Amino acid sequence: MNRKSVVKVTENIWEISPDYKAGMIVPARIYSSPELIDGIDEKVIDQITNVACLPGIQKYSYCMPDGHVGYGFPIGGVAAFDIEGGIISPGGIGFDINCGMRLLRTNLTLDDIRPKLETLLDDLFTTIPSGVGSSGYVKLNNSQFRQIMKNGVGWCVENGYASDSDCEHIENNGCLDHADPDAVSAKAVSRGINQMGTLGSGNHYLEVEIAAPENIFDRKAAEQFGIHMDNQVLISIHCGSRGFGHQIATDYLQTFGKCAAKYGLVVRDKELMSAPIDSEEGRRYFNAMACAANAAFVNRQLIVHGVRASFERVFKGASARPLIETIYDVAHNIAKREVYEIDGRKKTVLVHRKGATRSFGPGSREIPEKYRSVGQPVIVGGSMESGSALLRGTEIADNTTFGSSLHGAGRTMSRIKAKQKMHGGEVKSRMKERGILVKTGYMKGLSEEAGYAYKNIDQVIEAVDTAGISKKVARFYPVLNIKG
Amino acid sequence: MPYKHTDSNTCSDVGLIVTGNDLSQLFSDAAVGLIAVTAEPEELVEQKAVDLKLAAESLEDLFYSWLSEVVYLKDAQNLLVCRCEISISQEPPFMLTGKVYGDIIDRMRHTLKVDVKAVTYYRLRVEKKNDHWEAEAVLDL
Repeated sequence: MNRKSVVKVTENIWEISPDYKAGMIVPARIYSSPELIDGIDEKVIDQITNVACLPGIQKYSYCMPDGHVGYGFPIGGVAAFDIEGGIISPGGIGFDINCGMRLLRTNLTLDDIRPKLETLLDDLFTTIPSGVGSSGYVKLNNSQFRQIMKNGVGWCVENGYASDSDCEHIENNGCLDHADPDAVSAKAVSRGINQMGTLGSGNHYLEVEIAAPENIFDRKAAEQFGIHMDNQVLISIHCGSRGFGHQIATDYLQTFGKCAAKYGLVVRDKELMSAPIDSEEGRRYFNAMACAANAAFVNRQLIVHGVRASFERVFKGASARPLIETIYDVAHNIAKREVYEIDGRKKTVLVHRKGATRSFGPGSREIPEKYRSVGQPVIVGGSMESGSALLRGTEIADNTTFGSSLHGAGRTMSRIKAKQKMHGGEVKSRMKERGILVKTGYMKGLSEEAGYAYKNIDQVIEAVDTAGISKKVARFYPVLNIKG
Repeated sequence: MPYKHTDSNTCSDVGLIVTGNDLSQLFSDAAVGLIAVTAEPEELVEQKAVDLKLAAESLEDLFYSWLSEVVYLKDAQNLLVCRCEISISQEPPFMLTGKVYGDIIDRMRHTLKVDVKAVTYYRLRVEKKNDHWEAEAVLDL
């Protein structure tokens, strides 16, 4: 790559013109910072410029500041395709469909939980299934799983695993209404049916975090999101649709590979295989993807149910009963049909967000009414050593990045290199010295997920804050972490 | 060892490179190498066998389908494949037939590591190199 091709547009935006590569329909734009842009992998440039060649792409092929190499799209990739003539691509959504973040608030403070931290860690670890081969505590039959695919968190409300308030504070109220279980293979169902309510492994986690007063940057927004006590205890959950979503992605990558020639699509990268949105194959994938998205919302909700039970047990007899409420739940691997003004007219597009979060600004009817004065909560997961961050959506995002922003810190180091740098036990001790207790079924995996394997989350959120596509509300530091 | 795990260049995942004297050995060792990401091969005991029959338009596609099947069996049947008896046709249409043997996941008995969630097309290849075969896949973790 010729770095001269990456031209600075503003303090936080870099652009690559369509002259860079034959076939580019639009320019590519990288949201970053002077500190982060030098570290961007050349393969990321290759990937966002490949995306810029896909039929129907609108305005720009974007990469967020947490961007790193993915399959097809980079992680942190955002692209919108005209529903007339545009494509849908599993590589723009990710294998883990609706991998996302749930953020919960409690009525507890650090002082309330400090005496019972180890007990709470053990109870959460026992209650929330994680790691290889784990199965959920809810035993489902095919008919129930079909209802989950179709109704998402509505199924949890009907069956006592969610409140109406949970439902109201989830993207799309926890249900994409175009889900079609008939578009899903029997193999996908058999991979997913026993995994609902499980964290999985890899970079997925459950974390108990603290909102320290010095880390609240926007008090009005924080209060609107229900964060109003000094050192309030929060819980963040990062996971997705488990094997179910992965099987759907695997199935449709194979389907799209077979139909690319029929639709005259040029395949630059097999991970970018796609189908016209308005084709039989494209429609079926979009509707199967919705089934996986709904299952992922349910997966996180069943984990929330387990978290509530765990807190009830550990704090039984305490002066105040633990109250755990959903602040918000966002998808960061998904494609959504949305309407934007493009070239002076309203256009319906299919926005692919892969490792990118929706970031709708104040006033959006798509977000809970009580958040409309400040914008949508944007939940950003960091490494297990850095904790997470809460931002809010903006009008700038609505008008520039198809209402999208970052999703996490973004990896900088391979798992093999991270493992060579430090032993899991050392990482655990280092975290304990800093007041973070961690529990995992795979100790060596801790080094794969250590803080040094990720970008500096503060630099990453600063980049989007300065660019204005989401604004900082608060940073949270971890005290307990469960890794799959 | 007929397989090795490598840096994938995607940071979050792992590469798998396998060599074999023939396609059957290549594919078999790739399956064992994939499961070795998740479990220690020496801890696995043959407890169950599954018959498989796959077809694809190219060797790469067959390799993708094969490894995806091994991932599927792990999740859907808790089966950790540790040995394969398969035969592969080298001419189109490419077919794989045979049996896989494996252990049932036991969280008390097995050292379980990181889960393989999917096989990707990234750097996917199956190549004949002089007197042996070589294949590569990147696994989504």
